[in-house]
Parts: sequence; structure tokens; C-alpha cells
Amino acid sequence: MQALGFILRRVLLLVVVLFAVSVLTFAIVNVLPGDVATAVLGDMATPDQVLAVRKTLGLDQPLAERYLRWLLGVLQGDFGRSLQHGQPIGPILMGRLGNSAILGLITLAIAAPLAVALGVMAALKPGGVLDRVIGGIAVGAYALPEYVIGLFGILAFSIWWPVLPGSSLMDPNENPLARPEALILPIGVLITGMLAFISQVTRASMIQVMGSAYIRTAVLKGVPRWRVVMKHAMPNLLPPTIAEIGMYFGYVIGGLVVVETLFSYAGLGQLVTNAVSYRDVPVIQAVVLIVAAAYGIGNLLADVAALLMNPRLRS
Amino acid sequence: MSGVALPARRRIVLPRLGVADLAGAAIVLGMVVLILAGASLSPYSATAFNPMHSLEAPSLAFPFGTDEFGRDVFSRVLAGARPTLLLAVGAAALGVALGTVTGLTAGYRQGPVDETIMRFMDALMSFPGLILAMLVVVMLGPAPINVVAAIALVFWPRSARLVRSIVVDLAHREFIEAARSRGEGASFILFRELLPNVLPIIVVDFSLRVTSGVLLAASLAYLGIGVRPPTPAWGLMVRDGQQFIEIAPWLVVFPCLAIALASIGTVLLGERLRHRLALPGGGRAQ
Repeated sequence: MQALGFILRRVLLLVVVLFAVSVLTFAIVNVLPGDVATAVLGDMATPDQVLAVRKTLGLDQPLAERYLRWLLGVLQGDFGRSLQHGQPIGPILMGRLGNSAILGLITLAIAAPLAVALGVMAALKPGGVLDRVIGGIAVGAYALPEYVIGLFGILAFSIWWPVLPGSSLMDPNENPLARPEALILPIGVLITGMLAFISQVTRASMIQVMGSAYIRTAVLKGVPRWRVVMKHAMPNLLPPTIAEIGMYFGYVIGGLVVVETLFSYAGLGQLVTNAVSYRDVPVIQAVVLIVAAAYGIGNLLADVAALLMNPRLRS
Repeated sequence: MSGVALPARRRIVLPRLGVADLAGAAIVLGMVVLILAGASLSPYSATAFNPMHSLEAPSLAFPFGTDEFGRDVFSRVLAGARPTLLLAVGAAALGVALGTVTGLTAGYRQGPVDETIMRFMDALMSFPGLILAMLVVVMLGPAPINVVAAIALVFWPRSARLVRSIVVDLAHREFIEAARSRGEGASFILFRELLPNVLPIIVVDFSLRVTSGVLLAASLAYLGIGVRPPTPAWGLMVRDGQQFIEIAPWLVVFPCLAIALASIGTVLLGERLRHRLALPGGGRAQ
């Protein structure tokens, strides 16, 4: 029951956060010194053009009214029209969102367990060879932007030793899973970035867990090492680690934007960078909102998973 | 976060330096030199076209090769330190400064002031960093100062939360009570009593922010946001060079190496700093 109350509170909080996000997104687009019409047209626009764009975007109406209309539309799946294509944004978003989700979820499914395993291994002997190697790789992966890792990957695996496609160029409506080989490099890059962070967070909490009295008792009474790790330490290690992974979704999303642009992968990230170069403000606004929502929901799911894994709160 | 408030003066102990510390310090020092004097160290102009030498491989004359306009990549990498690193340092300074003032105020005042400030910070933090920075730069327009503002906006709530978490504990200590009872004003308590106690944390936070600032600034430039050609920002050089990756890999390799070196140097120095000041792990800033 306690757990149910927590989840309900957490969902309520998410709704509040999403509302705040919508207000902030709208505010950044509409209240910051830059004017949307000028942002769309560039510096060279004539006053007439600016007026025309302001009219099509409804910018001549009061701010509060525009916000409410936009919010109501979004709640019904209507994100307005793209300035670049003239099409409604909602359907474009959906396909792209699916493609990004494929990339993100596969990454998560591989990287999270792998990173936890690496972190645990590093923590078993802090300062040991394995710890130093894993730590060194983590610093490298942490310090390099995704496109740097990605470009070296392309150079290595699709130019010097051409075994993988260096681009996932595709039609937005194509199923990305139809060409799994084109997913290997992008996912590899995203995994590398995730490994760095999660393995180090896991390592820190594992060292703490292994230092606690109940683990020492288990070791002293002769429980085999693997059993101490798997049965005794893990249950206490996983909940905080999963919550940390949830906090990390924002970074994964940033990584997706860069990786999708690098590999021409038709996801939300590529959509938004394209929209930026065409100054397609309604699309940018929509993507930012969707991405922040996905971030919030991802956080929520991680918290709930952490909670369900904590036996003290499950009853 | 106990044990965080360090005494203001410590006995000075010469640190034992490892290879990683020296490397970090050397890289950062090199970067500072480049920021100050990068463009004047360049053998060629970073922006002038030289069609006679288009897409030449690295040689003695052009150690990093040339790009499609015949510009010397080496000169561009040297000159690119300023439009990449200065943005990172500026954004880290601005973000941490804003975060410190906000965190001090929220943590000391507590109550409704604290609630209001921190909920606003939460809302800012519910955007993934890169996405928020993108949106802000697009709306403000492409200029270095706007990139600084956008990245600082990403750092602000994260620094504020960190500082607040320490100040909330400190606010109930006797020395604050004492200051208040001898009639000190809020600004004295905030900046003369509380600030010195969070200073080590702020210094480490700043160093971590510089690293993520380098990454964010380079990523924004790579996405074509905030800088315009022919500015030799490293991220932008990678973006422009990518189309020639098969015939002229040096166009992406050297700017990539510069970015890697800069961020690894700041990471090493930041980690060392954290270690020296015996602070708990900070984790990756987004």
C-alpha cells in the first residue's frame, strides 16, 4: 500500500513537472528577447514578411490565450503545422519517436546490465588492475562527445576496415530494424557513453555495500564470494543504481540527438536538428516538449522499478 | 553530506602528483595558452581561402593537412580553442555563480522562498541539458554570448541544488546563529559566513562544469547551433569535415583530438581537485 501511495504521488508530481515544462518551453520560445517570426525568417526579413509570419503563427494574439490554445492542441495530439513541410507535426513526431525509442531502448537493454556488471567487478577489488582499466576507459568515454567516438568508429569500421555501414540513412517511415547492421555503430556509440557513467556509479555504491557489516558477517561465516555478491549485495545495490540510471535518461536523450545527426538516423534528434537549420520553431517546440515528457516518464519508471525491487517497501 | 564543511585554513601539504595529474595540468595549461594566444601562434590564417592547396594530406608545410578551401587545419585547430573553450569556461563561471547565489539564498531562507526557487530549478532540470541549450540558442540567435547564456542556464539549477543541499545543514549551526544574534545582515551571512564553507564544493563543481561545458559547446557547434562559418570552432570543423571523411579524414580527426584532449585534461584536473578536497563523487553533469 505504501508503494501504491508512492507511485500515485510520483505520477502526480510528473503531471506537475510536465505542466511546468510546457510553460517553460512556451516561455522560452515566446518571451525571450528573440522574436519567433525573426527567428523563422532570419535577420534579412522585411517588416511585411515578419508581419505575415506573425499572423500565420497567431503571434498577434495575447500570450496567455496562445499558450492555452497550444496546450489544448497538444493534449489532443495537435502540435500545429511544420513551417518547413506545411504538414501537421503530430504524425511526423510519432514515427520519429518510435525510431528514437528503438535506438534508446536497445542501448539501455544492453548497456545497463553490462555497466552494472563492470561496476561490480571493478568494486570487488578497488584499486586493482581491473578497476583501473575499467576506470580509465570510463574517464575516456565520459570525456569524449558522442560524435568523436562515432566518427572514430566510422573511420575504423566502415572506412579502414569496411564491415559496417557508416550511416543509417533511411526514410523516416522505414522500419530501422529491417537493417540491423546499420544500427550497430550508433548503438555502440550510445552504449560506450552510458557504460562510463553507470559503471562508476555502480562501483561507488557497491564499494559502500561491500563495506557494510552484514556483508562482512556473510563473508566471515564462509558464504562463497559469488553468493555474497549476487544474493547479499545485489538486492541493496540495484535500487539506487536503477534510480541513478533514470536520472541519466536526459544524457541518453542528448546523446541520441547527436548520434542520430551523425548517422543520419531518422529519429526525433535528427528531426530537431533539421528543424533548427530551417528555423522550424513549431517543430522544435514540439520535440522539446516530447523529449522532456519522455525524460520525466523515464525517470518515473526508474523510480518505480527501484521501489518494486526494494523489499522493505514492497509489502 | 556531512564532513563537507572544511576549516577555512588548512596546513599546506605538498600534494604527491601522479602522471595523470601532471598530464591534466599540462593539458589545461596548454589550453589556457591557446585561448590567450591561439590565433597568433597559427602559422597561417584560420579563415583565408587558399585554393592552390585544397584538401592536402598532412605534410611538413601543413602538419594537419588542409580543408576543401585550402585552409590550414593546424592553424584552425589552434585558433579554435578560443571559440570552444572560452565558451565553456564562461558558461561554467556564469552557471556556477548563479547557482551559488540561488543555492545560498534558498538554503538559508528556507520556507516559501526556498520552495519557490527550488521548484523553478526543478522545472529547468526536467529538460535534458543539450535540448534546453539548443532551444535557447535557437531563440536568442547564433552568437557566442547566447551560447554562454544557454549553457549557463543548463548548469544553474544543478549548481543551485548542490549548494543548497549543503547550506540547508549549515544554516542551523551555531556560527550562523551567532552571526544572526550579533545583528549581521542577510548578505553578510550569505557571503561572509556561508560562502567560505561551500567554496571547496563550488571550486570542484566549477571544474566539472568546465568539462561538461566543453562537451556541450562542442556538441552544439557540431549540430550547427550557435556558431557560424567560418569561425574555426572545433565542433563546427568536425561538422563541415564529415562529408570528406573518406578522402580527407584529417579534417575530422584533428579537431576531434583537440576536443578529446581538452575534455580529458579538464576531467583529470577536476578529479584530482575533488580528491584533494576529499569530496564525495560528483557524477556526470548533463
